[in-house]
Amino acid sequence: MEDYDVIIVGGGVNGLTAAAYLAKSGIKTVVLEARGECGAHCDTTEPGIPGFVHNLHATWLISAISPCIEDLELASRFGLEHVATEYCYGKTFEDGKNVLMGVDPVETFNSWEKHSEKDGLLFMQAADYMTNNLEETQKIFHDFLFKAPSKEILRSTGDVIEGILSSCDIDLTFDQVWNMNGFDLTKQLFESEYIRTQIQTFSWIAGMPPIHPNVGSMGALLTMMCGPFFPVHQAKGGAHALTHALVKAATAYGATILPCCPVKEIITKNGEAVAVKLSEHAVFPSETISAKKIISNCTLIPTFKYMVGYDNIDSDMASMIDKFDYNEQNLFATYWALDGAPQFASADYDDGIQRCFMGYFGGKNTEELTRFNTDLVNRVIHPDIQANWMIPSLTDPTQAPEGCHTAFVWLDAPPQPKSWKHGSLNGLPAWDEIKYEMADQVVDTFEKYAPGFKKLIKEQIIYTPYDMQRNNPSAVLGNWLGGSVIPEQWYMKRPVQGVLKGGGSRTFLKNLYLSNSIHLFSYSGLSSGYIAASEVAEDLGVREQGWWNSKALDWYLDNINDIPLNLGVR
Amino acid sequence: MKDKAYDVAIIGAGPNGLTCGAYLAKAGLKVLLIEARHETGGGLDTLEFAGFKYNPHAIYHMMAEIMPVYNDFDLRSRGVRFIYPEVQAAYISKNHKPLIFYHDPKKTVDFISAEFSSKDGEEYERMYKDFQEYSEKILIPLTYVPAMPPIEQVQTLNSAKDDVGRRFNEIAELPPTEILGMYDFSEPVKAGILNLFTMWGLSPHEALGYIFPLYVYRMTNAALCSGGSHRLSSAIHKTIIASGGAILDDSEVVKVLTSNGKAHGVLLDDGTEIKATAVASTVDPHQTFLKFFDEGEIPSSLQESAKKWEWEKMTLFGTHLALRSAPKYIGTESYDDANRAMITFLGMKDTESLLEHHSSIENGHVPEKDLYGHTTCGSLFDPIQAPEGFHNGRWESLVPYDNDWEKNKWDYARLCVEEWKSYAPNLDPINMLVYPPTYIEKKLINMVRGSIKQGAYVPLQMGYFRPNDTCSQCYTPVEGFYVCGASVYPGGMIIGGPGYIGANTIVEDFGVKKQWKDPESVKKAKENGIIPY
Repeated sequence: MEDYDVIIVGGGVNGLTAAAYLAKSGIKTVVLEARGECGAHCDTTEPGIPGFVHNLHATWLISAISPCIEDLELASRFGLEHVATEYCYGKTFEDGKNVLMGVDPVETFNSWEKHSEKDGLLFMQAADYMTNNLEETQKIFHDFLFKAPSKEILRSTGDVIEGILSSCDIDLTFDQVWNMNGFDLTKQLFESEYIRTQIQTFSWIAGMPPIHPNVGSMGALLTMMCGPFFPVHQAKGGAHALTHALVKAATAYGATILPCCPVKEIITKNGEAVAVKLSEHAVFPSETISAKKIISNCTLIPTFKYMVGYDNIDSDMASMIDKFDYNEQNLFATYWALDGAPQFASADYDDGIQRCFMGYFGGKNTEELTRFNTDLVNRVIHPDIQANWMIPSLTDPTQAPEGCHTAFVWLDAPPQPKSWKHGSLNGLPAWDEIKYEMADQVVDTFEKYAPGFKKLIKEQIIYTPYDMQRNNPSAVLGNWLGGSVIPEQWYMKRPVQGVLKGGGSRTFLKNLYLSNSIHLFSYSGLSSGYIAASEVAEDLGVREQGWWNSKALDWYLDNINDIPLNLGVR
Repeated sequence: MKDKAYDVAIIGAGPNGLTCGAYLAKAGLKVLLIEARHETGGGLDTLEFAGFKYNPHAIYHMMAEIMPVYNDFDLRSRGVRFIYPEVQAAYISKNHKPLIFYHDPKKTVDFISAEFSSKDGEEYERMYKDFQEYSEKILIPLTYVPAMPPIEQVQTLNSAKDDVGRRFNEIAELPPTEILGMYDFSEPVKAGILNLFTMWGLSPHEALGYIFPLYVYRMTNAALCSGGSHRLSSAIHKTIIASGGAILDDSEVVKVLTSNGKAHGVLLDDGTEIKATAVASTVDPHQTFLKFFDEGEIPSSLQESAKKWEWEKMTLFGTHLALRSAPKYIGTESYDDANRAMITFLGMKDTESLLEHHSSIENGHVPEKDLYGHTTCGSLFDPIQAPEGFHNGRWESLVPYDNDWEKNKWDYARLCVEEWKSYAPNLDPINMLVYPPTYIEKKLINMVRGSIKQGAYVPLQMGYFRPNDTCSQCYTPVEGFYVCGASVYPGGMIIGGPGYIGANTIVEDFGVKKQWKDPESVKKAKENGIIPY
């Protein structure tokens, strides 16, 4: 087999991003993907009744804010189209009320002020500040999300945050905010428990659990920018449209993409990564391919334990890497093919909930959510269901046959559960045993918040953390973020202190880079892929490209009014 | 993509659409493929779920590297690897010892001679030699050149340099049962050979014997596609993108646009009009001739013949399992090879009961026991088809389309698994997916009534008459409109035929140079006078 300038191990969306940037810059690049399809975590499949497609991983896409959209022509040339509903995120409550955030900040204000005038006002003040300081806001988005973590960037981000808070008459310094968790920050910012729990859960499903300092507070602030700065979209055709656009882009720019090529070994010589060896089960069995640079798009432990080999690196570093945690965040997922759209009971209070494809039920106050988050961290399956629901077909009717809908619930769950109400469990394999009962509990809960839901069900498909790990062994314990998003593995400390050297993706092993388990975490904004692409391109002397100049939010701000809403709402 | 003008718009990005598109793009034409589904590949579909790969449609690749598209585009370098299991087929029965067909015909002869009878062994050797000759010299090359009118075909073969043409003419219009009868086989060997043909729902009684030698020969030379069948279509897809072609999915064509008898584009379901100098349809005759054209825009004879199109008389029911272990079959204690077959047939008895079973399904009877299923455990040969420590299992059996499949699908799937378990007691699934005929039709809209070849293989719609006697050479009476799908000569299955022939025809009409040579088999057939120059 040929040699390449750059080998990318793993064809997930961040790896594909890096491949597209580098190929477009003239670098001879190959992507080696273990599965048959690229984009393991940005996947749309048809496992049951034909005509119903399900997004098994990423569904809510934030790709619109990414510089990759313009730089890689993903929308203009490679078919990526964003769609949405009028409302981005809705939390629905047992008492029949709901609280909504909209594409239009005015809609958020209208919903919030029904619960608390003070909280509504705070939201508008924050939104106004950001709109009036657009350049500054855009700059922190680009610097915080798409550059290697640094004290300087954290400081300048903090300055802008202080500006926003001060415009809302909130007397907090960034240092204080940084050291709070999401529960504490939301208590300080808001008086309504409806609004507090909305922001807490929104941050949580975005990847930043509220129980953690540094993480939870940043998550809360980010979600407050919902709408014009923090969008909630889907891709028309399903999440895999993002993967397909990236595959097409990388291929058209000249990269080679080889599926069914699991990598067995990353070969190192004298502390340098020099080549990879494919598995004996690959379509090119046991082949060795050399390259100048290797980017691993697999997560931290599979990269160093299985591919590089702990024996080939410093033993202290190996022990530190081995402590990398994957227990947060992991999901128990239940998918349905439905005969109609769920009708939420809280639609009587505000029917906007019916024009909202993403939401949450359960956890009516901070205390309940705190107990849930605490159980999770302690590997206990919480007795009641507090979970994220989505109805993708509301944005995109192509995902279900006419008149029908798809829906799912993603329940945060401990991947190695120690116990559930019935007693002790044996860790990850327990999921094969308990999945049916757990799914029943989820369905009962959905029925409570949307009466008549059960009658709509044509088919149910369950997908557990064990399934996710089997689907993608790099996602250890099914972790969907490339590794737990906890204070010890956040921002400058991610993935583990000492692994990265001189950048956001350059590792201590010369010529080995990471595009996974690094900042921000694995998400559809494609930060990790962008950072890895930038650093490899710099090191190869090809970063200065006329076309490689888009900034975060550029494309979105130009196209925000062209994103169709409610296409699947009847 | 939608606002550009193209040289050729291809309707449908299944194996034929993709093949056609790849060649046209290579020839430098501006190509757009339009696919209704969210995924291209049509029957070359692989579902990856929870680490398991399932192939609900195409799985046994009869032509594989023989397809010109494979070598012409160096698909091997794009990761398309065909795996030829040493043991091709095994028949497990409660009535006789395992019957095994190896990839190596000598091994099969030795096995049959030792385990059944030396006469059967001799006859297998003789039959294999004949069928191999007919296939290599005639049937395979004919797959990659345009259809010939029947009389011309017969005459060409009669006057060919190689007398294989005359010998072939003698059997070409006999039913498969008669051709098989020319060899002196005993049971169950005879049934085992016939079943390699009838497993596809093909009739053993139709005067279409000419395809019988091809199926029997190729079904003992078949391959699995490593990583699943979709790897093949995905590689062709990437070839098209790399050559500058465009592919639009989630888009349905509702009309071919014509004026003054000339095609000039297509209309999509979202109202977009796409301009193209030529349009090629790879979809079924109802869509092609009845949906895409209004009365008067296409000769009425074509619409009449489309209305008479016969769908297939039987279809397939699929059950797909995630397994903890590979199946171990009964009666294989001294025949471990029977546990390593690409296809394992369950319950074969003899020719009489096979023909009875076949005919009862044709008459609409849904088998409730003795389902005659065939199974494959792909991960045995291709470990990446399942997570480490697990296996995938696939069951298929012939059924009629007319049944309340939507109501009965799960019960029938459980019935299939029960019968499978009676032959493989260690079967231990952790998950089950179901593929009734209604799913085939819903997913791949050309496979009406579960017709996996886009239409019945009966004399009036085969050969020069597929889809009719005016369009079987790909061009049609409508200028700029072509047809090259499975409902066009030479037919369905993954053979890479119609799309290839279509591309050659279109390239010629555009006056563009072909940058690829005739396949080796076609070159030789021309030298032998089997195909006219």
